[in-house]
Amino acid sequence: MNTVVCMKQVPDTETLIKINAEGTGIVTEGVKWVMGPYDEYGVEEALQQKEKFKAGKVTIVSLGPDRAIEAIRTGLAMGADTAVHINDAAFYEKADPYATASALAAAIKDLEYDVIFCGKQAIDDDSGQVPAILGELLGLPVITQVIKLEVADDKSKATVTREVEGGHAIIDVPLPAILTAQKGLNEPRYASLPGIMKAKKKPVDVKTVADLGVSVEPMTVIKEMSLPPARQAGKIIEGEDAAEKAKALAKALHEEAKLI
Amino acid sequence: MAEKFVSERNLRFLLYEVFDITSLLQYPYYAEHTPEVFDMILETALKIGRDMLYPHLEEMDKTPPEFVDGKVKVHPVVRIFMKECGQGGWISAMAPMEIGGQQLPNMIGLVPGFIFGAANYSASVYPGLTTGAAHLINSFGKKELIETYVPKMFAGEWQGTMALTEPQAGSSLADITTSAEPTDQGYYKIKGQKIFISASEHDGVENVIQLLLAKIKGSPPGLKGISLFVVPNKRINENGELVPNDVNVTGIYHKLGYKGCPINQLSLGENDDCRGYLVGQPNKGLAYMFQMMNEARIGVGIGATAIASAAYYAALEYAKERPQGRRLTSKDPTLPQISIIEHADVKRMLLFQRAIIEGSLSLLLQCSKYSDLEIVLEGEEKEKYSLLLDLLTPVAKSYPSEMGILSVSQALQCLGGYGYCDEFPLEQYYRDVRIHPIHEGTTGIHGLTLLGRGIIRKNGKAFQLYLENVQEVIRRAENDPELKPYGLELKDALKRLQEVTSHLIDVATKEGPDLFLADATLYLEFFGIIAIAWQWLLQALSVQKALKNKDGLSEADANFYQGKMYAFRYFFGYELPKIEGLAKRLTNGDGLTVEMKADLFSD
Ligand SMILES: Cc1cc2nc3c(=O)[nH]c(=O)nc-3n(C[C@H](O)[C@H](O)[C@H](O)COP(=O)(O)OP(=O)(O)OC[C@H]3O[C@@H](n4cnc5c(N)ncnc54)[C@H](O)[C@@H]3O)c2cc1C
Repeated sequence: MNTVVCMKQVPDTETLIKINAEGTGIVTEGVKWVMGPYDEYGVEEALQQKEKFKAGKVTIVSLGPDRAIEAIRTGLAMGADTAVHINDAAFYEKADPYATASALAAAIKDLEYDVIFCGKQAIDDDSGQVPAILGELLGLPVITQVIKLEVADDKSKATVTREVEGGHAIIDVPLPAILTAQKGLNEPRYASLPGIMKAKKKPVDVKTVADLGVSVEPMTVIKEMSLPPARQAGKIIEGEDAAEKAKALAKALHEEAKLI
Repeated sequence: MAEKFVSERNLRFLLYEVFDITSLLQYPYYAEHTPEVFDMILETALKIGRDMLYPHLEEMDKTPPEFVDGKVKVHPVVRIFMKECGQGGWISAMAPMEIGGQQLPNMIGLVPGFIFGAANYSASVYPGLTTGAAHLINSFGKKELIETYVPKMFAGEWQGTMALTEPQAGSSLADITTSAEPTDQGYYKIKGQKIFISASEHDGVENVIQLLLAKIKGSPPGLKGISLFVVPNKRINENGELVPNDVNVTGIYHKLGYKGCPINQLSLGENDDCRGYLVGQPNKGLAYMFQMMNEARIGVGIGATAIASAAYYAALEYAKERPQGRRLTSKDPTLPQISIIEHADVKRMLLFQRAIIEGSLSLLLQCSKYSDLEIVLEGEEKEKYSLLLDLLTPVAKSYPSEMGILSVSQALQCLGGYGYCDEFPLEQYYRDVRIHPIHEGTTGIHGLTLLGRGIIRKNGKAFQLYLENVQEVIRRAENDPELKPYGLELKDALKRLQEVTSHLIDVATKEGPDLFLADATLYLEFFGIIAIAWQWLLQALSVQKALKNKDGLSEADANFYQGKMYAFRYFFGYELPKIEGLAKRLTNGDGLTVEMKADLFSD
């Protein structure tokens, strides 16, 4: 089975995020970058499907600047076969979900695939729109939040389980299709040392957006970005006994916090 | 629990900036590797440490291995981790490619051990021991032995151990009595008892392979009669099945710390059916075992430094968050309290830990670089690095082990009463780290090894080479205005080292070994402090180089280098002066401990 995995390199959740001077993005210097955690489920699922079918190819497609190659190599070290790196810092800088999906669609359209995996969202900007727009551009069905996948032997369709509020929905979808990976789909493997050694020899096709013939402009711009307000100091409720404290608490919740 | 347990930045600094690991890539043996490979190894090890091992740290302490019906049950993560280390190639990382390894330099090979050890020391021991045991079979075993055991061990399916200690023979291996009787079937019949053998039976693997010391019947007494055997807990029968090999666990010990890895008492050949397979030549066992022991000793230094590192980050996080007290200059009790990290004494405790941890890690990487160069060089050069490694191994084992305890103690101290309670992991780290001066040779034994053997070996050749290496760093520091004063301090310290050493050698010739070696442990301490000062000066040279390009530095890097300089200055300002007291004692020569009679300890 052939698969494409769309993968974005994002800041590690443990990295301290700072807003840049213009207030339009984050300071990228000093950030630790990793493969998007939901994309990682996608890579793992692609590898498991390939192992199950004992045939096929896993291709990683990533839009990002030079540094994105590190996350691409991690995917290759996990076992992916090849990669396309749309290395275009200027485009990436401004890209909104539509521009991103356009670049990905252009890179993917000539590849062979039965399934395209995306993460259900990138954990940096959290927009979660790319897979849907990509589906539109490629004319493919999109199923989001997938936690289980069974592909028919002839690869003509798949039965997927997705998370819905309070339960699960099981859906049949014709292939090729776009599936977005949710936590629970699998346990991503760690790169192995032999995998790491092999990764450096695997082919990575580096392209600019112009090479792909994409000339779209982003449709949205980020006007302002800010951090959540700092946590306020807590307040200790005073009182003679439990009853009095409870009364004071209720009063504070009602009058000050306006929660009840 | 603290988020951080090791410093990735410091590892990169040491690997790339101080020890220039990429310089190894010029040798054909390492030419397959690239800096990207090293980076990915670092990243992956951090991820495994963080996601697989660290979350089980406390659990493995609170639910130690259980001995039930002759079997030892360990925490389920052991099996998962051993499998990962097998499939992921971590056990065979440093082995030659021709036998399925990745031929990684020891310098980078040390990194996963350090990260895993900081995340969860007990768990890290299982694959670490297996690596050492497999290397030993590979170095000295016959082809058949290698083919039977090494692949399974590299795959993490079979555990490797080192089985030396017996009830009457711990430090004194000459006194082992486990016997091996030759048969005409190609194997030996093993009989005897071993104690304290780490991971020597557990349910995280299919089989355990003991690399065991025993005496072949009729062999000479003492160390010259010791041979090395492979003794599997389950042997392979004619049908290729695993069957019991009469290796019986008779008990497990309940330890102070490092509880996640069992140490067992073994009874071998109770039913006269324990088969051992000779490794190499008869009576050469101890010499072979030294390969594994030396590897393991560096491993112990790493383990001690790793635990101290985890304790440091736990203390650091706490010190930043705990409000207590006010500035000495603040007179207003209504002002909010300040974080304890603002107090000079707390900063002293934190700097002390950094000085120990980063100094130790540097020495361990230095030793690893010597072993990498020993592998790829020939002739005199090879001998040079082999001698340096041999001389410094007792120091690289003992300094981190002894000082690691003090470092963790200061980490615990940073938390005050909370440090003493089990809501925080400090009390566990404190117990865990205590093992290191004991196993792989006690500090006392390493003192004897350094002074009684290392220093005088080959007419002091290794010692001479060591002095030259330190002098080289001093010379470089003397050319840097910022570092010159420190270079001069180290020069004085090195002079002291030479004076004390010649004095002691004089004692050896005039007064004999008792007086010569009476304070060998103190000599090891004295030598260790100077060796760590050497490593700190080496690091400071790299820091100065980086700071020359000040404007190009990010804020994080600028802080890193400045913090480094403080830790460096701390070592020179607070630790190095301790050699004066030691030098005084070491040249006193009154023989106090030699003279003191056992009877006088009556009260
Ligand atoms: C957690 C743990 C794990 C271990 N794992 C293993 C393992 O995997 N395999 C294995 O074979 N062993 C293992 N050991 C055993 C360990 O190596 C020994 O405990 C150690 O070598 C000391 O031996 P001993 O306990 O018999 O102490 P002893 O040798 O009795 O020493 C007691 C004290 O006397 C001092 N002393 C002894 N002889 C001399 C001397 N000649 N001169 C001066 N001082 C001396 C020592 O320094 C020490 O302070 C382990 C031990 C522990 C606690």
